[in-house]
Amino acid sequence: MINVKQLNYKPGEHEAETASNSYLMSLIAIIVGLPLPIINLIATLIFYLGNRKGTYFVRWHCTQALLSQLSMLFINSFGFWWTISITFTDENISSNYIAYIIAAIIFNITEFIATIYTAIKTRKGIHVEWWFYGNLTTLICKSDL
Amino acid sequence: MKKAIIQGAIIILLFLGTWFILTKINWVKVFKVQKITYTTEEKLGELFWEVFQKTEKENRSPYAVNTVDSIVTRICNANNIDRKLLKVHILIKDDINAFALPNEHLIVYSGLIINSDNQEELSGVICHEIAHIMLNHVMKKLVKEIGLSVLISMTTGNGSAEIIKETAKMLSSTAFDRSIEKEADIKAVDYLIKAKINPEPFADFLFKLSDNENEATNYLTWVSTHPDSKERAEYIIEYSKDRKSEYKAIITTETWDKLKELLKE
Repeated sequence: MINVKQLNYKPGEHEAETASNSYLMSLIAIIVGLPLPIINLIATLIFYLGNRKGTYFVRWHCTQALLSQLSMLFINSFGFWWTISITFTDENISSNYIAYIIAAIIFNITEFIATIYTAIKTRKGIHVEWWFYGNLTTLICKSDL
Repeated sequence: MKKAIIQGAIIILLFLGTWFILTKINWVKVFKVQKITYTTEEKLGELFWEVFQKTEKENRSPYAVNTVDSIVTRICNANNIDRKLLKVHILIKDDINAFALPNEHLIVYSGLIINSDNQEELSGVICHEIAHIMLNHVMKKLVKEIGLSVLISMTTGNGSAEIIKETAKMLSSTAFDRSIEKEADIKAVDYLIKAKINPEPFADFLFKLSDNENEATNYLTWVSTHPDSKERAEYIIEYSKDRKSEYKAIITTETWDKLKELLKE
């Protein structure tokens, strides 16, 4: 699911740090943003906007971090509003709801682990591409080399 | 590009597939959701009813109990509601009020019966409260207003007597959200029509009591806590307009008058 790829240049120390921070940003924001799924996205979006003029390595990883957060936003928002509707309206807790929350938790944990792994690798200047997100990011990020 | 789309679709399918497989497990049963709610409701019902038993006097005269019971039984039988579930109590109090407590307790104040012009008006209010019970509005309101954790602590003996008393009072003197009240009104009209009781007097009752000139204004708990009585009366009339059927009285006029006389004493 996660591939380590060789880029045709070696990212510098500063680049590796910024790229790694883009993943850390989403992890830190999870602590604040757990009840409100949009916070993680906003945090990575701000970081992305701040670094979109950076080098290819930095831009690429900021985009991958942003895209992964974006898909989690859909899953988490749906779960969030479902919970709100159970608390405040006539909705009842059903097996479907509990199953959804468990599925969402599984996906969140997977993403969480992948994010930590990628943050560590990119800090060392290693280029890590996620399955699907890696391809999508390559399509979005134009190489300046 | 094509590869990314296929991979994206696989991720979506993977999520939906995980969800679908997980729905095959009866989580409600695994986590005992219903059971917890049911035993909590049962205990809360008893706790709140005890508060009213201590502070108010109940009318247990067989004549009053049987007469109100005739009305409740007709409504229940016509609407496939288990009559044994409902615990109906008549409390001696001048307030024009009726309300539901958890665990299917239905409280009717004598003031409501005395100030109803006919049995259909009383039946309308009773149907409205039965609708709240059957639609589980009472527990939902409690969970929303004071939270499940506080409710559970009450039932395990950790709740303070003052909080229990205040909550019981809140249930008797505040209305539900407007949308929930409307839902109960509409359900009440369904109950009334199925039980062959004319719903129009129920609407008249709301009109009458929303009129400030009425001498009973001081005791209008049921109407003052249920906002926009005129609007409610209008949609009740609107909803029942095209559903005319033959109506049958449940009790005779003599019985009704005698019940009122008895409660006035």
